Amino acid sequence: MDEKELFVKAYKAMALSRALDRKIVMSQRQGRVGFYTPTIGQEALQIGLSMTLEKEDIIYEYYRDVPFMLHRGVPPAAIIDQVMGNSSDSEKGRQMPSHYSSKEFHFMSVQSPVAANLPPATGAAYEIKYRKKKNIVVATFGDGSTSTPDFHAAMNMAAVYDLPLVFLCENNRWAISLPIEKQTRVEIWKKAEAYGMRGIKVDGNDLFAMYEAAKKEVETVRKERKPVLIEAVSYRIGPHSTSDDPNKYRTAEITDGSEKDPLIIAEKGMIERNYLTKEEIEKIKTDSKETIDRIFDEREKIPAPKPESIFTDVYEKPNWIIEEEKGEIL
Amino acid sequence: MSSKQLNMVQAINSTLDLLMAENDSIILLGEDIGKDGGVFRVTEGLQAKFGSERVMDTPLVELGIVGMAIGMALSGLRPVPEIQFQDFIYTAFDQLVNQAAKMRYRSGGEYHVPMVLRTPYGGGIRGGLYHSQSGEAYFAHTAGLTVLSPSNPYDAKGLLISAMKYNDPVMFLEPKRLYRSIKSEVPDEKYSIPIGKASMVHEGNDMTFITYGSMVPTVMNTVTKHSIDADVIDLRTIMPYDGETILNSVKKTGKAIIVHEAPRTLGMGAEISAFLSERAVEYLSAPILRVCGPDIPFPYRLEEYYLPNEERILKAINRIQEFR
Ligand SMILES: Cc1ncc(C[n+]2csc(CCOP(=O)(O)OP(=O)(O)O)c2C)c(N)n1
Ligand SMILES: [Mg+2]
Repeated sequence: MDEKELFVKAYKAMALSRALDRKIVMSQRQGRVGFYTPTIGQEALQIGLSMTLEKEDIIYEYYRDVPFMLHRGVPPAAIIDQVMGNSSDSEKGRQMPSHYSSKEFHFMSVQSPVAANLPPATGAAYEIKYRKKKNIVVATFGDGSTSTPDFHAAMNMAAVYDLPLVFLCENNRWAISLPIEKQTRVEIWKKAEAYGMRGIKVDGNDLFAMYEAAKKEVETVRKERKPVLIEAVSYRIGPHSTSDDPNKYRTAEITDGSEKDPLIIAEKGMIERNYLTKEEIEKIKTDSKETIDRIFDEREKIPAPKPESIFTDVYEKPNWIIEEEKGEIL
Repeated sequence: MSSKQLNMVQAINSTLDLLMAENDSIILLGEDIGKDGGVFRVTEGLQAKFGSERVMDTPLVELGIVGMAIGMALSGLRPVPEIQFQDFIYTAFDQLVNQAAKMRYRSGGEYHVPMVLRTPYGGGIRGGLYHSQSGEAYFAHTAGLTVLSPSNPYDAKGLLISAMKYNDPVMFLEPKRLYRSIKSEVPDEKYSIPIGKASMVHEGNDMTFITYGSMVPTVMNTVTKHSIDADVIDLRTIMPYDGETILNSVKKTGKAIIVHEAPRTLGMGAEISAFLSERAVEYLSAPILRVCGPDIPFPYRLEEYYLPNEERILKAINRIQEFR
């Protein structure tokens, strides 16, 4: 893929992701979806990194990584199935919306307790090292997640064992109602040094800047087989989740059409570089919306999983206790 | 004596308000509890009133919240840490189990930890695996922790007031499903409900229901709707549970059904059942039954199959009635 194709693919994923995000948020308001954590504003930083990855790389993602997933090839239908918890959902409707999983595309199943994905990511990276494989691991998390013991444990283990692991902190400046200034006294990328790890900060709203930075860091991780912490700075344009009311704790710092919107920044860049024309961009947006509308309506008709499905996969083999309880309940 | 119709959120909020106004040792700490007022709005308005030194919006670290609260308590403050969802308490488990719970014992009684840890628990709000758990058995299994769970706004206030006077760490488990679904008449002034005392919420002769928290309304609805002649015991205190009330009732009825949302295996039902078999076997005319959550993680889309409901309680009633 040449640079142009690479960026056109990236922009298309951004537009598709934005359309999907809008659709799910709107459907939640209409009572068609139970809950959702919007991804708006974090498209560029996820996709800028995703552009530099290989198919074999392993992602320990968190709940806002839909753009990342779409860019790596996860079909929007799979995201919608998860959000609906329907019988086509690979997680069998067990998890709350926004807790995706895709083994096919090497995305780990998302958990709610923030940063709990980070220590296991070091285990995955250790396996790569132990087996002398060439791929790497990427683990993503929010700014608030850096306060957890999990973050500390994972950063330390990754550094001590020289693991091929990219920590991507998606700093959207808010952890529900807590602004970054009250979360930590030091810039996140600087924490890396304390663990003996490389750390960098990048403008996560700018797809091109993100790509350049990620490319360099990922190449270094691949070559040197050592971890890195990338702090990608963005802004949580939406509420924390559909249950959250940001008016309680912040005044709008971004209005629609702001120069901080990663989609708008990407569009400008695409035009400047002659990768896409204004008309092509408009068409991509309209197509994305139509595609998402069509797929959403289609997936919405898929029924819930069968009740007996809640009793499987607790263990590889069901035990008599669960079987008995199933008999009593169904 | 004036009183108000309040839901549980309002009852807890106004109780904290009342207690904080008269005791500046009380400090609230947790995630999003200040400016935002808490994700369930339980601490709404308290930071505006008492300031950010007393209602602390902490960084995102449960281990830090609980650990810091323990230190505050050891130094004479009365901390009320909030864990946003009980499901997120586990990184703080070491602090709870190895610090808070054992402090009095290990220091030969010289140190103690007067802390009231509030946390919403249980399912029924479509929260899936990580916003629905009922972990009371972990806490009840830990010597040194006292575990409370109110089932209505009135009890929430009285229990919270007792907890705030108590000199040992209290786990104050708030059944989130009931936060706004029921109201009760709550007196404006202070009153307390003793720790360790259950409440007999319905009286009858045929059988005894032992339950607590979110399952109390479910059991009560079933019992009243089908005119079941039963004692219904709302434990209110899970640990130390009120053995005397349970025993007296079961001696009278000869039949016991324990209902809770938490998984069956080694849940409170197992403990109460063992307690009854040790002390009342000669009074029992039927097996002790449990209606509980199954031993699986809490599902999202099909959560109604997880939660004990009228149908499952009725099944247990029918089964137990076969014994004379
Ligand atoms: C261990 C834990 N505590 C509390 C929560 C509740 N919670 C969900 S998201 C969130 C804020 C996370 O902020 P951040 O890490 O910055 O990620 P963002 O949501 O901003 O992308 C909180 C407190 C949780 N999921 N896990
Ligand atoms: Mg954040």
